[in-house]
Amino acid sequence: MKNQRLADVDQGDMAAEERIGNVLWRARDFASAGAARRSAAGIRTGFSALDAVFFGGGWPRAGLTELLCPMPGIGELSLILPALAALSKDEARWIAWIEPPFVPYAPALAAAGVDPAKVLLITPSTRAEALWALEQALMAGVCGAVLGWPSRIDMARTRRLLLAARQGGTWGCLFRPIAAAREASAAELRLRLSPLPERRLRVDVLKRRGGWPLENIDLRLDTAGDSGEPA
Amino acid sequence: MSSATNALWLAVHFPQLGFEVHGLPADADNRPAVLIEENRVAQADALARRAGIHTGATLATAHSIAPELRHFPRDPEAEGRRLEWLALVGYRYSSRVSLAPPAQVLVEARGSLRLFGGLAALTSALATRYRLLGHETRLAAAATPLAAQALARWPESAAWQDAPCPIASSQALRDVPVACADLEERQVERLANMGVTRLGQLLDLPPRELGQRFPPALLDYLHRLTGRKADPRPPIVPPERFRFHVHLLEGVQEKDALLPPMRSVLEQLTRRLATRNLGTRLLAWTFKPLSGQAVDVRVRLAEASADPAALLRLSRLRLERIDLPSEVMSVSLCADLVTPLLPAGADFLDANGGDASSNAIKRAELVDLLTARLGDEAVRALAAVDDHRPEAAWAATPVATSTRAATPSTAKPGTRPLWLLDPPKPVSAQGFTIESGPERIETGWWDAAQARDYFIATAPSGSRCWLYRDRHNRWFLHGYFS
Repeated sequence: MKNQRLADVDQGDMAAEERIGNVLWRARDFASAGAARRSAAGIRTGFSALDAVFFGGGWPRAGLTELLCPMPGIGELSLILPALAALSKDEARWIAWIEPPFVPYAPALAAAGVDPAKVLLITPSTRAEALWALEQALMAGVCGAVLGWPSRIDMARTRRLLLAARQGGTWGCLFRPIAAAREASAAELRLRLSPLPERRLRVDVLKRRGGWPLENIDLRLDTAGDSGEPA
Repeated sequence: MSSATNALWLAVHFPQLGFEVHGLPADADNRPAVLIEENRVAQADALARRAGIHTGATLATAHSIAPELRHFPRDPEAEGRRLEWLALVGYRYSSRVSLAPPAQVLVEARGSLRLFGGLAALTSALATRYRLLGHETRLAAAATPLAAQALARWPESAAWQDAPCPIASSQALRDVPVACADLEERQVERLANMGVTRLGQLLDLPPRELGQRFPPALLDYLHRLTGRKADPRPPIVPPERFRFHVHLLEGVQEKDALLPPMRSVLEQLTRRLATRNLGTRLLAWTFKPLSGQAVDVRVRLAEASADPAALLRLSRLRLERIDLPSEVMSVSLCADLVTPLLPAGADFLDANGGDASSNAIKRAELVDLLTARLGDEAVRALAAVDDHRPEAAWAATPVATSTRAATPSTAKPGTRPLWLLDPPKPVSAQGFTIESGPERIETGWWDAAQARDYFIATAPSGSRCWLYRDRHNRWFLHGYFS
């Protein structure tokens, strides 16, 4: 369990935790150089500007990502769509959506290359059920990606979800409000998204494995795939 | 009978059954092995055959040919019992399964083709399952049981080069040796003396002459082989249900207090199942109050289980969502869909082999678990529907894990939003910047008043929206492009 030590860092000041986490990771990367990167190859994001700075060259294939958005509908789906299309093409596993704020629209997903038949739509009625479903879907090993919109979630719970994602070999992606940036989280990749005019999205990398935080990556959403076909 | 002409029979042949009932994998430690019946070789494995040991040789002869030979008594009774058990495995794949002793099981495949997505997928699932249970198989398909059986018995057929489970074409069938047919040994010898060694030769002989020279059983065989005569096979009947019952000394009001009696009946059940190496895929609980209506709770499983802890966990999840009578006086349990268990460790084989059918089972397990706790309506699959009305162009459907038909993409990329608001939300058009549109969509051909003009527009917040204006100039937000 590579990230175990990060998860063991005491809950507390998020900035401090993330600094420590990053330092730990840098030390490890130094030691095992490129081999670790290759073995932990991520899911290509379809955006070369992101693949270049994400550990493993993409979304963590067995780990937890957080996307912090001011509101739903600003382009957060277009950001993950190339990766979902690749997973849907390469794997027979589910893509689970747990408590999404709106209906993921099947014709648009199909047009983008995501097979709707592989989408599992889970709509629990309580917060406790939603968290339970998230954890079960992550650790079952039969989902390529699990997308969750948890209403409230604390550090301890993100740790459990991270471990579940590792166990299941699943990419867990949580959509959380911007305010969550102030809370600590065990997710190994945290991005803050803000809408820009002309189908662009500003991405701030708040936390990543193997690197320092980065600010102000400007993505054009309609040019997904500019880094070549996501493999 | 049209169903008979359309039938597709799979013959599953177990060439090593006699060895496998002794718990021996084929070619273990590279020593030839034979089965002995009345001091003669009844069956020789591949190594023994290669060494030159033939069926019918005495044990002494066999030993002189291959001193390292292992020999075992043939145990027809054990083979029969195992064959029945193997037929039960087939019951998972088709509702019409028949025994064809001594070493074959017949599975009617036509009714299962759609469920499994074709013959190749079905037969690979069957063969994988038998392999995991420790049994070597050879599968052949045909329109009649006898044709499938004959082909499955003949390993040298060229048909196996084309497919792992060939369908017996008339040519493939003509090449099959008469010795592989379901005929008495005496008739096979007589035919061989006439120079008739292949089924093709036999089929070319004039039936009248055959009828004069051979007992009627031979003509009967040929008629059933070619489908001229019906060949009904009695389907196996799955084993008895397992029923258990507990009366409670006093009425139970809390669900937690029901768990100990539930655990106790589950333990009785699983003990009974385990001795027969069976598991259940459906638990039907009944909770009876002192007076009034009993409550039934059904727990479905994707994979047969005989693990009392796992069964109790799923039952308990199911129970949490259900209102029980105020005072439960008795608990009964009926286990249905009883099928053979996979051996422990089969998962690992699957993971390496990437077996599609067992992955489907594991996907179904997650759905079982989620449904048990959240309810059927909370766990759905998505589907794109070919309908020009936007709100009817998608559907949340019950999850089917075995059909994997990809839905055609019906929208041009970028023209439909990824998020749909259901129902649409009334908005004021103020502040939106129109990017493109209108796109006229008639939402009901029977009612011109239903026409809508759709626009792609940017909201003040920066979200890209899918808006429409109805005939009364009212504006609605129908989706986000996100």
